[in-house]
Amino acid sequence: MIKVNTEESPWRPGMTVRALLDEKLFTFRHIIVRINGEFVSEEDFEKQTIQDGDDVLVLHLMAGG
Amino acid sequence: MGTILKDYSYTPAKIKRGYSGKSLYINLADLRIEQKEITEFMKEKFTGGKGFDLWYLWHAITPETRWDSPENEIVMSVGPLGGITQYSGTGKTLLCAISPLTGIPIDSNVGGYFGPLLKFSGWDAFEIQGKADREILIFIDGNNGRIQIEDAAEYPEDAHLLAEELTKKYSENEDDMVNVSVACTGSGAKYGYMGMINFSFYDPRRKVCRFKQAARGGLGTILHDKKVKALVVKYRGVKPNLNDAADISTINKVGVKYHKEMHDLDQKQNKMRQIGTANTVMIMSQYDLLPTRNFQTGGDPETIKISPKVFIEEWLTQGLHDGCWYGCTMSCAKCADHFLLTTGPYAGQRVTVDGPEYECAAGLGANLGVFDPQAILEENFYCDTYGIDLISFATCTAFIMECYQRGQITQEQMGGLDLRFGNSQAVLELLHQMSRGEGFGRLAGLGIRKLKQIFVEQFGADPKLLQDIGMEVKGLEYSEYAHKESLAQQGGFAMATKGPQHDEAWLIFMDMVNKQIPTFEDKANALYYFPMFRTWFGLVGLCKLPWNDIVPADNHKTDSPAKVPEHVQNYVDLFNAVTGKNIDKEELIIQSERVYQFQRVFNVRMGKGERKDDYAPYRSLGPVTREEYLSRQELYDKQLREFQQLDPEAMGLDEKIAATRRYREDQYEQLMDAVYRRRGWTNNGIPTPERLKAIGMDLPELLEVIEPKL
Amino acid sequence: MKVLTHKQELCTGCLACELACSRAYFKTDDPNYSSIRIVENNRTYRARKCTQCGECINMCTANAIYRDRNGVVRIDKKKCVGCLGCVGFCTELVMFYADDLEVPFKCIACDICTKACPEGALEVLVSRVKEN
Repeated sequence: MIKVNTEESPWRPGMTVRALLDEKLFTFRHIIVRINGEFVSEEDFEKQTIQDGDDVLVLHLMAGG
Repeated sequence: MGTILKDYSYTPAKIKRGYSGKSLYINLADLRIEQKEITEFMKEKFTGGKGFDLWYLWHAITPETRWDSPENEIVMSVGPLGGITQYSGTGKTLLCAISPLTGIPIDSNVGGYFGPLLKFSGWDAFEIQGKADREILIFIDGNNGRIQIEDAAEYPEDAHLLAEELTKKYSENEDDMVNVSVACTGSGAKYGYMGMINFSFYDPRRKVCRFKQAARGGLGTILHDKKVKALVVKYRGVKPNLNDAADISTINKVGVKYHKEMHDLDQKQNKMRQIGTANTVMIMSQYDLLPTRNFQTGGDPETIKISPKVFIEEWLTQGLHDGCWYGCTMSCAKCADHFLLTTGPYAGQRVTVDGPEYECAAGLGANLGVFDPQAILEENFYCDTYGIDLISFATCTAFIMECYQRGQITQEQMGGLDLRFGNSQAVLELLHQMSRGEGFGRLAGLGIRKLKQIFVEQFGADPKLLQDIGMEVKGLEYSEYAHKESLAQQGGFAMATKGPQHDEAWLIFMDMVNKQIPTFEDKANALYYFPMFRTWFGLVGLCKLPWNDIVPADNHKTDSPAKVPEHVQNYVDLFNAVTGKNIDKEELIIQSERVYQFQRVFNVRMGKGERKDDYAPYRSLGPVTREEYLSRQELYDKQLREFQQLDPEAMGLDEKIAATRRYREDQYEQLMDAVYRRRGWTNNGIPTPERLKAIGMDLPELLEVIEPKL
Repeated sequence: MKVLTHKQELCTGCLACELACSRAYFKTDDPNYSSIRIVENNRTYRARKCTQCGECINMCTANAIYRDRNGVVRIDKKKCVGCLGCVGFCTELVMFYADDLEVPFKCIACDICTKACPEGALEVLVSRVKEN
């Protein structure tokens, strides 16, 4: 299990950041990802894997109205 | 040319550090024109913009004043940063009056040239009180120090014709037309309470007048009631430092830095320069947040037909400057040029449509079940030229459509209009009826609060259902964001001072998606900080969009990316550079809070500033109907288990709906408790003397109002 | 279209061009008022000056930028409001400003610096590039 934005979420071995975003339907372009507090830059989304027990923050910088 | 009824000469005051120091007062009953001093007290307590407006309005009226009482005033002011040319979004003017929809002050912001040109003409603020005995226009000539009041009966009613005619009339040649701005409503403001005021500026590339709107709250209805056909201001000679800034070097530096940021990053971020605020349509739909069919659901597969891509590729002119005041490189006021109208009095003509903004695509589109970009643009055009608040019209029409869908009103009762979801032809016909003052058009603009009453009393509709699905608070319609799952946003809307407009707080993603504000305290802190921060824009003349619709490249590395700290610092620097003062980020919030609390007490004074006035219709908080529950069943069932330890398998659908409702309504009560505490209010929502004292607003006027309520 | 060009191989970094420009237009020796800026990198010298690309024309918030009959990009001082949008938007960073000036300034391919250059490194060429 991992945490995604403080909520428990299923995990699979080899799960990349990109795979997680796709699964969660996080399609918004302006996204900041932190795993256990460390930034993952956008170019690494395909490569960076997530480990079991990781605390993942997916911050959408949505200005809104 | 009509008869000149009044001719007044004045010496335009010189602007010092962002303020001209003078405000203009016109009483329409006797055409009396006076000048007032902007005092140091006013600057210290109210800063400018909305602050000045509310201060003047307070003293103009009594608690018995209604929107159509002669003593009701429209007050407008742009604020000390208004009119600088070097930064994006520096032309925002705030207008206040007692609203026809709510009976309390409305504050409505509008971008564009009028406010800056008014200030350069010598006026920090402008009060219009009383009612004229005939249709008039007021012309302010800032170069020659002259104000003329003219009989305006012969001029057209609709904004796109009126502004064009008046802009030409007051210009010496085409190059001069950028120096004229016209404020006017339209033929649709005659009936109903949701008339708005258009503010024009001339676009020299397109060679047409363009419009921004002071839309919310019915200001156009008041303008029409006062028989003001138009306000015109002219000032030739806009230069980089008409504000007499203390430190032009900092302004230039910050401006260039921001322009460069826009150049380098907008394309990668929100594409404001290409599509403007409508860039959010697809995102909102993808996250189930696009208000669809009267906020019943959060999106529809057909949204793809009104996606930003469609508007960019097929409708909106690209590559030209589209800012609504000089220096705005965010340039987000997109438009559809040479748009062919197919209905109404201007059918067959090609016009420039100022839009669609997000609220238009969401409100006149998804929320009405309309997914036709051409229809949306035509609805947008007619709302604008008829002087009708597009947001109130959209949310109110969505309400009417659902009432019709659910058999609460009949087609016959609507004069034959088949106002079902998706019928854009009926929507357009309704707008034309509003303009002509015919049929259902005479009722449709009254707003949801009045229509609920009429539908129940005259058409036998179900009061409980209508109360649940009528999206209004305090009498003002909601703006276009589906927020059923965001408790913070529910508070942001229903506890907002003027009514449920999102300009105080936009917390949906922060709350629902990022889950950054999980506790009541977190939400209360957000519902303290963001309204206070965002109020500041309206005190000083700034547009909110450049604050966070683009962010610096390293913003995500800061402690609080949602606040965009570098941009907040820009604003502090700009304020100090113009005024010569020395505020910091904390003082900025206090400046805002002074006006925020003042407005809340103003509400108390007018009878709508208590806990009872801050409740939301249940559609805002949760699923009203079976279809709504079923549309998010997995989520709602999960919440029954997690939050209430109930077993959804063992419950009937109506039972689950009722249990969800109980829970959510209780959550909302707890949120109110936390927010009131954080804002320094009693449990009944009244600002406490202690809080007012702490921010230097323990003014006798305010204490007198709150004391009996403590 | 006229455009100023610079030959790196001839340039000695003497800065005579900067001086000639700032003196001609602003009566000062301050290189911050020159529309040509020489940048040194390991004893080679590059000249930054307007390429007349015209990207600033459509984005100008006052509709004050245009091409003259030589295709040179110019600012209409009567219309400019000093918003500095063009300064921030210039990809080459060759639109310049100063705090005591109301209007930004740029190279207008006037030939003053070409005559001042002792090495003949500067030349105004006429190109047949299509203009916007």
